Parts: sequence; structure tokens; C-alpha cells
Amino acid sequence: MKRPTTWIVWVDLSTGKVERTPVDDALNSAYLGGSGVGWRLMSDALAPRIDPLSPENIICINPGVLVGTLTPGTPKTTVITKFPTIASEDGKHFIGACTTGGRYLGIALKRAGCHHLLITGKAPRPSYLRIHDRSIELVDADEYWGGGIEDVMIDLVEREGPESGTIVIGTSGENLVREALTIVDRTNSLGRGGLGAVMGSKNLKAIVVNGTGDAELADPDTFIAASERMRESIMQWPRREHWIDLGLAAGWDTFKHTQYPGIWPKDRWDELYGEKTRMETVENVIGCNSCILGCRLRWQTKGGEFNGEVGFGSPFSKSATSGMLLGIEDFRKVIHFVADANSRTGIDFYTVTRMIDFVTKMYEIGRLNAVQTGGFELSRDYETYQKLYEMTVHREGFGDVLADGWMRLKQDFGLDPQEYWYAGICKGVDFIYDARPSNFHPLMMTFTTRPRPHHGGSHTRTNSRNKTIEEIREQVERWGLAKETVDRIFTESDYSGKFNVGRYTRYMEDMMRVKNAIGLCTIYTYQGLLFGNDIAELYSAASGHEMSALGMVQCGERINNVAKMINVREGFSRVDDAIPEVWFRPMESPEGRIEMQDYYKTKVLTKEDTDKILDDYYDERGWDRETGRPGKDRLTELGLEKLAAELST
Amino acid sequence: MRDRTTQEVPGTLFVQAQNCRGCRSCQLACSFAKHHVFNPGKSMIVLERNLSDGQTAPMIKPVGCDLCGGDPACVKACKYGALLYEAGPGNEKIVVRLLGKEGS
Repeated sequence: MKRPTTWIVWVDLSTGKVERTPVDDALNSAYLGGSGVGWRLMSDALAPRIDPLSPENIICINPGVLVGTLTPGTPKTTVITKFPTIASEDGKHFIGACTTGGRYLGIALKRAGCHHLLITGKAPRPSYLRIHDRSIELVDADEYWGGGIEDVMIDLVEREGPESGTIVIGTSGENLVREALTIVDRTNSLGRGGLGAVMGSKNLKAIVVNGTGDAELADPDTFIAASERMRESIMQWPRREHWIDLGLAAGWDTFKHTQYPGIWPKDRWDELYGEKTRMETVENVIGCNSCILGCRLRWQTKGGEFNGEVGFGSPFSKSATSGMLLGIEDFRKVIHFVADANSRTGIDFYTVTRMIDFVTKMYEIGRLNAVQTGGFELSRDYETYQKLYEMTVHREGFGDVLADGWMRLKQDFGLDPQEYWYAGICKGVDFIYDARPSNFHPLMMTFTTRPRPHHGGSHTRTNSRNKTIEEIREQVERWGLAKETVDRIFTESDYSGKFNVGRYTRYMEDMMRVKNAIGLCTIYTYQGLLFGNDIAELYSAASGHEMSALGMVQCGERINNVAKMINVREGFSRVDDAIPEVWFRPMESPEGRIEMQDYYKTKVLTKEDTDKILDDYYDERGWDRETGRPGKDRLTELGLEKLAAELST
Repeated sequence: MRDRTTQEVPGTLFVQAQNCRGCRSCQLACSFAKHHVFNPGKSMIVLERNLSDGQTAPMIKPVGCDLCGGDPACVKACKYGALLYEAGPGNEKIVVRLLGKEGS
């Protein structure tokens, strides 16, 4: 059985130099491959405390180990970089990982032998990176600079061929807007927190990839037998039919409770933004590669001022929350922002709409004035929202402040992001979920404990409401954890309810590292369709590294500790893992008072409770409770002696 | 490797392009069935990519498909109903006859 050879490809945009080296087998064995190895490479190569928008920053792109094979849903590519979000008042920036699916990108990277593509430096002029197998070149992109994402992507695919995978930035990325992300293959967003600005700072408008190679496997026959068995079993999922008709829009029944912003009554929200309006707009549901539960959408707006507008992605959930927050009753007007952000500007819809919500409200109550906004009188109307959106994308006037994110509002105007009324902010990033309507389940916890506060593939059974304790326990057991570990997680307490969110979160994060390394979409684990033992079976046959579910989780833990330590170098500590203050303030809604409770709603959680939960999280990780830093002993046990030594310096 | 069948089995592969989600499972299954590797470029299926509406459609290459001896891997792999197979003669659309001889 021959283990596949995987490659590290370094591209220096400043010099045009390309280097290609094979990955050491021991590194693949310890870090699984994919983004696991990517984290280790970044830990070795990224200098501490650099400006994320400087040439020294590195964009490390890692298609998952199983990408390009026939599986039940492994399309994911994970990108690691230092993000330009201002994460603290003293100006720290986190190094984080973001993930994307797509129909073309991951496969193309694998076929081109770019298992780890690391891009550094700065192109001398606006450029795009063209990869065709071993040929990697920087091409002038003057004609694309200033262009919208979709136009550039279409032109690149016409030029390079229909198999091309693409990552493209929009005008916000060029303008170094800290909320700029990138769009992959037209259908998927990548890089909340400012990956688009990092590319912009490197004069890199796009990356276009083609390859001709095979996705190699160590034991193809064992692999295909396991994969086909799992595919057939997932086909029996009773909700599949509904899911593939509506894509991510199928989640409304859960979503309308767990992401309720508390301004309109739920019935009104249902009428304006519910499944009925979604069905009118969905044209097609698109699958990422190898996925049998396709969830990306192509939609077309019917009627209204945006009649005929077509968009790609998943517009409904995000438009529903921001629509309610901004008080826009016509969902088509909000979906227009999603379409425009995805096809032209590349700005993060969540952050820009929530910042607009915050500043217009602050203006209304006199906390901001026209002098501060450069003479722009803000009102709570659609026209103002559109203007603010454009000004942010182009860093014009007051938009320059919004383009630097939540922390700059505090620095310039004393508007504390912790005052924002929905979802909460941690490390300078607004969460997309709010723990008051959602309850304080492990996903909420991981927003605060992972270096980059976004879910990043960590969903589990507890994302859905009302799962039985047996269902939750079964998932954890099938991660291969020892009985005493599982018992510890499922010990009831007066501060966390029937299971210990802090202890659970540790393993959930480690599983997330595993899923991202192999490229598995989180939908499959979140819905309880694949478990740790399934993942281990596929991974072992593909890589030739025999691995149990527990072995996978242990690699996940190693990866997670490396990711943490890179951020410890930047100065992050327990104070940065703070639970957003808004979660402790009751949400007064037309449905009544909504307070943050434990998963089974047995009690309202206080700061003292969540402090204890955070203590347990650090304890389960073997990290210091006071500082939130990894413990030397645990790092040494994980074979990370070099990182352990850093703790004493 | 797949055992080459020994008798002539005509059949028809229907492409229902409107059901295609672009997941490329058909291509991956085909390259595995034919060449024992995963590589869309070695598949007998080309996935057309319509850039105006973002839709995809599987197209069978005119030469090379042997219908996997009457049990096409691409049809099994497509979970969205974009590829259907009908055994037996009588359809003009795409008929691929297997050419192997007994004992060859």
C-alpha cells in the first residue's frame, strides 16, 4: 500500500519564485494532512506580530485530504492566514482558519498537486495567480482591478477553461476593507474577518487553478467500498428530499427560533422571510463536489425594484436576521445586498449590515452626530443603508470608519461593540448566532474559544434544538472518547445543565480540526449522518495512515494546540475569550423576555456560570485557567516540545 | 479493475440535465470504474458549465463509454436523477455497445 505523496508549494509574489517540496510522511501522520499540516507550516513560517496587510503575511490554502474523491461530501478547502480584523483595543490580530466548499476549487488544487499552497510577498502590480499543474505564474490583472467578482470569475473561466477553480476578491478587498472576504467558484464565500483585504494588500485580485493529476489514495478498493456504503446510508435520511429542494433554506423551522432577533413577532417574520418567500425565489440547488446533500442556491428575485436579479450562495438566513434588525419588510431588498456582496463587492454581508444597524440606531438616539459622520445625516431607511454600504466598500467619508470594523467605532467615537444588541462580538467579529434565542450550547462556546470567532465547521447535534441527551451522547461516543471522558462531559452541574458545555466544546473543536483537515462538510456531522468512526475509516483507507476515531481526535487536538499557540504569540489570552456582554442582557421581544439559558432551558446563565464553563473548557484541554494558555505538559505530551519551550520565553 | 463483460449488451444512458447539481460524483465514479483512480479528466463524462446561468450538465464523450457492462457507475453515483439508464436495445439517443468477445 503506497501512501500518496503530497506537496507544499510556496509562491513569493514579490519575486515570482515558486518552490515545491514533498510533505514529510511523519508530518502527515501527526497532523492528518490538509489544513492540519497547513497549521504546522504556518506555525513554523509566520513571523509573530506582523501587520496582516503587509507582504510578510502568508495565505496558506489547503484542500482537504479527501477532496477530489468520491465520498459523501468532502469538498472543503481551508485557508489559514493572519486576519486584518482589529481583534482587541490594543490592536491584536488573530491567525485563523476559514473554510469553503465549491464545485471546482478543491478538486483543481488537488489535481494541480497544490496540497498546501502558501502565498506570501506582494505582487508589484495588480495581478492574478494562474496555476496549471506545475506551471505557476503571476499574470497582470490591470483589466480586472476595480471589476466585480462575477465578471472577473466568468472571464477567467472563459480564458482558462470550464474546470477552473477560482478565488476572487471584489472592490472591498482591493480597498483593504477589513470585512472583505472572497468568493470561490461563484457559489461559496470564504474568509470572514478580511481574507479579501489580505489578498488586496498583496495586489492579488484572483487565483485560478487547473490541474490534470489524480487524487491518489493508498487503498482505493477499501475506500470506495466504505464510501459507497456511507453514501447509500445517507440517502435514507428522511429529511433529504426537503433538504435538496430548499438547500440551506430548509433550516427555517430551526432558524426562526434559534436566530430570532426579537424585534418583530415570529409570525410576522415567518410571513415576510419564511419558507414561502424562499420557495418563490429558489431556482436551483447546487452541490459542492461529491456532496449528496447540495445546499448552495441559485435564486432569482421576482417583482419589486430588483426584479430578475440572480444570485448564488445562501441568502435566506442572513437576509432574515439583518432584514429584521434593519426593519426592512421586503426581503428582496435585503437579498439584493447579498447578491451584490457576492457578485461585486465581496464585503461580508453580516458585518456590514449589522454595523449599519448599529450606527444608524446610535445616530437616532443622539450617540453619533453629523460632525462625526462627516456631515452625513443617518436615518433608518433603505436609501441610507445603501449609501453606507457603498461608502464602506469604497472607504469614502464615514465609510472609512466602518471599513475598519467594530473596534474603530470604539476608538473613534467611544461606541462600545459590546453595546450592540444582537449576537454579540468577540475578538472584533460579530457572531452570526445569539446565545439568548439559541441557548448556550457548544457552538456558542466555540465562537469565543476558537481564535477566529466564526463557526468554521464545528457544528454538531446540539445545533438543533431538543435533541435527546442520548443522541448527543451517541455522537460523542462515536468520536471514540474513553468512557470516563464521556462521563465527565455528561455530568450534570448547576452551572451548565445536563452536560458540560465547556468539556464538550474541547472535543467538538478537535473534531472540527479533523473535518477541516480531511475536507468533510460539517452538514454531515451536524445532522448525525456521519460520525468519528466513519471519518476514521475513510481517512485510513485514503491516506494509508491507520487511524481510529480517537486517533483522529487526538490529531485534532494537536492541530488545535498549534493554532492556539500561534495566537498566544500574538498576545491573546483568557480575557480575549470573553463571552459577549449582550448575552447576559435579557432580550425584550414581542414573544416575551428571552434570556440565555442552558441547552435544555433549565436555568438562566450568569457570568459566574459561564466563567465556570470556561474554566472547565481550559481544564479539559490541559490549559491554564488563569491565562487561557496551553499547558507545557499537555504540549509536550502532544509532541509539541518546541512550542512548549516558547511558553517559558 | 472492472471485469470486462463478454457479451454485447446495448443500453441507453439518459441525461436529464435539469437535475444536475454539478457535484461531479458521476465524473469521479466513472474515472474510478474505468481507471481505478479519481480524476474527472479521465472520466467519460464532461461536465458542461454554463457561465450565464451557472448551471452544469453532464455530457457523455462520444467514444470510450462502455456503460460499465450494463451497470453504469455514473448512474449509481448520481443522487439527483441527472443520469438514468435503460437496458436493452431500441433507443436512438445514446447507445453504447460493448465490444468484448467471450473469453478475450
